[in-house]
Amino acid sequence: MKGRYEDENLYWIPVLIIFVFLLPFILKGLSFSYKYYLFVLNMAGIYIILNVGLDLLSGFTGLVSLGHAGFLAVGAYTSAILVDQFGVPFALSLIISPLIAGLFGFVIGFPALRITGMYLGLTTMGFGFIVKRMIIAFREWTHGSGGLDVSSPMLFGYTIKSDWNNYFLIYTFVIIAVIVGRRIAKSKIGRAFMAIRDSEQAAEAAGINLSKYKMLAFFISGIFAGFAGVLFAHTSSFISTDHFDILLSIYFIIMVLVGGASSIYGAVLGTLFIVLLDNLFVPLLKDQIHFWFNTQAGDIQSLIFGLIMFLFIIFQPMGLYGMWLKMRIYWKLFPFNPRQRFT
Amino acid sequence: MADLIIENLTMRFAGVVALDDVSFSVANGEIFSLIGPNGSGKTTLFNCINGFNKPQGGKIYFNGNNLLERRPHNIIDSGISRTFQNVQNIPFMTVLDNILLGSHSRIDTKATLQRWLSQDQREIEEAMVLDIMDFLGIANYEQKYMVGQPFGIQKLAEIARALVSKPKLILLDEPAAGMNDQETREIANIIREIKEDLGITVLLVEHDMNLVMSISDRICVLDSGEIIALGEPEEIKNHPKVIEIYLGETADA
Repeated sequence: MKGRYEDENLYWIPVLIIFVFLLPFILKGLSFSYKYYLFVLNMAGIYIILNVGLDLLSGFTGLVSLGHAGFLAVGAYTSAILVDQFGVPFALSLIISPLIAGLFGFVIGFPALRITGMYLGLTTMGFGFIVKRMIIAFREWTHGSGGLDVSSPMLFGYTIKSDWNNYFLIYTFVIIAVIVGRRIAKSKIGRAFMAIRDSEQAAEAAGINLSKYKMLAFFISGIFAGFAGVLFAHTSSFISTDHFDILLSIYFIIMVLVGGASSIYGAVLGTLFIVLLDNLFVPLLKDQIHFWFNTQAGDIQSLIFGLIMFLFIIFQPMGLYGMWLKMRIYWKLFPFNPRQRFT
Repeated sequence: MADLIIENLTMRFAGVVALDDVSFSVANGEIFSLIGPNGSGKTTLFNCINGFNKPQGGKIYFNGNNLLERRPHNIIDSGISRTFQNVQNIPFMTVLDNILLGSHSRIDTKATLQRWLSQDQREIEEAMVLDIMDFLGIANYEQKYMVGQPFGIQKLAEIARALVSKPKLILLDEPAAGMNDQETREIANIIREIKEDLGITVLLVEHDMNLVMSISDRICVLDSGEIIALGEPEEIKNHPKVIEIYLGETADA
């Protein structure tokens, strides 16, 4: 089976999907603290769904968003309120809440028709703050800054509790999100997004309605983030405004950049890389960091992220996925011409 | 029968008159060239036809449609596509995908959604462009990324992108700029084939006089936004004003 896109091989996709669903069993066999690993992977899964959407917006369309934690919050709070206070079934909320987050994206898309680059980044950042203020303002439903307890997801009469069950729920949707994201990226919509990023003139001459497709990018991105928000709210069972900090929005952009902007697999790789580094690698070094820098691991975290992004932008602007493509070409040509440039 | 009619077109940029009362018409199925020194308004004229610039006065009709009422992305629906003076390709997309971009208006969004889960859509889309790629001789490049390709291929890919939308009129903005002699001859052949085999009217802006004189049916000379001469290549070659502009008044001094 040969893929139509980029001359790629599709054999490994079913293998990878089977691996994803076997991973909890492998971890259980290997380690006593597998529950913690699953908790970390669940978080990574939620962020992957969001970052696929963020990549479509910032990587493909070139509209930088520094407010994606805001969309995550909209999805999370909408679902929490709908399910727990209005008695909407979880399955229905899985459809409604992302759409509402998508509508927020639509509204934020309006300024994007006029402004780009850094100014758009600031506008979306402002959106993140507005969402936080709104959550505090609508105290009746959201309990303000005190946070909100959220029920566990109920699907087909089963209540999904524990990280073990959440893993299967989240990663089912991760796989769907990646497939849908990739289909969008490789369709006429994805081509239109990339054309808008690289040459608005060429895009318009080819018949692409710039306003329509920029709004569409924000809408789609909002839907992905809202979806991640629903899963976040119901699997973590407690949400508060602290969960949707501006720093989180910046981490999302770092994840997409490190993975390689404008490739869906890159968003997945970058998210896994950063989340695993954050939660597994940094704690391992906790004692060392404390000894050498006389500070807590948490304080040095941002420094490490900044350094990673810095190094990636300078040495590997195409990110982890770009690195993988280069490696693949290197081994294909191996004994001959190993310095073949990547074209 | 006149195909593209331009009437009294006037375009000013804050005091600079880029086009001054320009009127001409292009007949169906001809190669019509616009020449003139830099800054004479050739690209501005293209941008007016294409909707990027909104002229202050005048009218542009194509097959009875008033183009000035349309927004830039709707121009392609009336059957006009264009290329750019500086190639405008998408670097980190394959050559094939770049060309597919031109088929944007031909691809039915609803049908795309209906075939969402199958690979058929992609095959239908690719079938639209493969014959154009063969026609231009760039079929071997389909899976390569645009970013590393030679300039000639990038130029051809841009022409392919303009052709894929099945236009009735194609605007070529300096297709031979930066090409060597052999590539220029190839471009000349391609333009001739676009007219003869595909039956597409060509409006051409070009600085290479050999190319313009050898393939054009009619030539229009612009200087400072005004038409100086309009006619067949032989007339233009011997037109005193054109000689003055290109060779300078001091020719006899």
